Amino acid sequence: MTLRHPILQTSALLMGAAICALVANATAPQQRQLRLVGSYPNALRIPARASSPALPAPSSASESAAAVTQTSIVSQAPGIPPATDSSSPAATPAVKITPLVHEPASDKIAKPTLTTSHPPSSTNGISRPVAPAANPAPPVKASGSASADVSRFSPHPEKAYVEIGGADVAALHSAGALFLDARRTSVFEQGHVAGARSISVWESDLEEKVRRLFDERSDARDQAKPVVIYCSGGDCEDSHMLAEKLWGIQFNNVYVYKDGFPDWQKRGGAVRTGTAP
Amino acid sequence: MTFRQALTHPWLTIRVQLALGAIFIAAAIPKIIDPPSFAHMIYNYRLVPGPLVNLIALLMPWAEILAGLALILGVWKRGARMLIGLMLVVFIVAILINLARGNAIDCGCFNVSEAGKTFEQRLTSMWWDILRDLGMLAMVGQLAFAERRTTVESIAPPM
Repeated sequence: MTLRHPILQTSALLMGAAICALVANATAPQQRQLRLVGSYPNALRIPARASSPALPAPSSASESAAAVTQTSIVSQAPGIPPATDSSSPAATPAVKITPLVHEPASDKIAKPTLTTSHPPSSTNGISRPVAPAANPAPPVKASGSASADVSRFSPHPEKAYVEIGGADVAALHSAGALFLDARRTSVFEQGHVAGARSISVWESDLEEKVRRLFDERSDARDQAKPVVIYCSGGDCEDSHMLAEKLWGIQFNNVYVYKDGFPDWQKRGGAVRTGTAP
Repeated sequence: MTFRQALTHPWLTIRVQLALGAIFIAAAIPKIIDPPSFAHMIYNYRLVPGPLVNLIALLMPWAEILAGLALILGVWKRGARMLIGLMLVVFIVAILINLARGNAIDCGCFNVSEAGKTFEQRLTSMWWDILRDLGMLAMVGQLAFAERRTTVESIAPPM
């Protein structure tokens, strides 16, 4: 090794690192692979909640869900009447009011490889406070029955997604809406909402899975059907990122489960493990 | 023995060199095992443009591990030291920027999974992370100082 100058040595180390990184990524299992060029449109945007008090650490699923409901609110799309959730009485004072809908920054949302036809705009939603955690959450019914009325979950093409709470999510689950799990595949396998499909925004097959979903729902009527996306609640943004991606491919009725999987578990919702939905 | 002599003593230098190398290898392993989680950590810093997040998540752990190995094996020590010093400065600046703008994040330095901390706990951890990085930067400084002194002495041996 005759490289004497430290800059040459540093360059050689960096080149070696680049080669190792490329080889390792090419040979890694798909769940641990990365696309070389990332697509994260909000990578430079500070999340609004970053400066607000944080939610307590989710040491367990139930703790996490309880903590989230104390400070969060549930947003609804315009036209959606308040959910008939006994755990969310209107008289319950909101602990904190925060913006309801993550308004898609139209100029910052990455347009996916598939085309988009949505005119970007921003619209405020209608809010209602979530019940304090002390109120017991109603058990979630098993999925599959189409008895729940989901007509109130109408398409909202003007925004990427609407955040909803556990009661609305349970209604959509009962109605057989499509559920997407935006967490890592390994976490999905440990437990997920029954019937949910895994589409992790951090894994290399994201585009492929989104494209497959688009192919399955290429018809405009299918794209107007409700889709619920969740991750881990709290600070988790994966569901919002996936929702923006789906909005970009003309899915105009996407809902983000604000409190995520910990809340679903707390409510006693149907959970499956393994790779199958 | 003066303080300067103690600071540049080969006994200390070799241990600092091995320790720094081992620290960087230990820091790199979880990132190499799970690049998507590390990419998520880098994303949380909100300092890297989206298209570069994955590239940095792939490159940085290998740079860490090669620099650490170089220090341990005693190969290209100056280059490894320079690379580690540069990375430490970048880490410190990145954490300071996020502290200044109130973006509480998990460091992702030795663990790429979410630590489940509160906002305040994250802010406190960030200060500790800076202190730790400053400590490692001091180790880099010790190595550079010891080598410089050794070089000078070898060129001009004491009368």
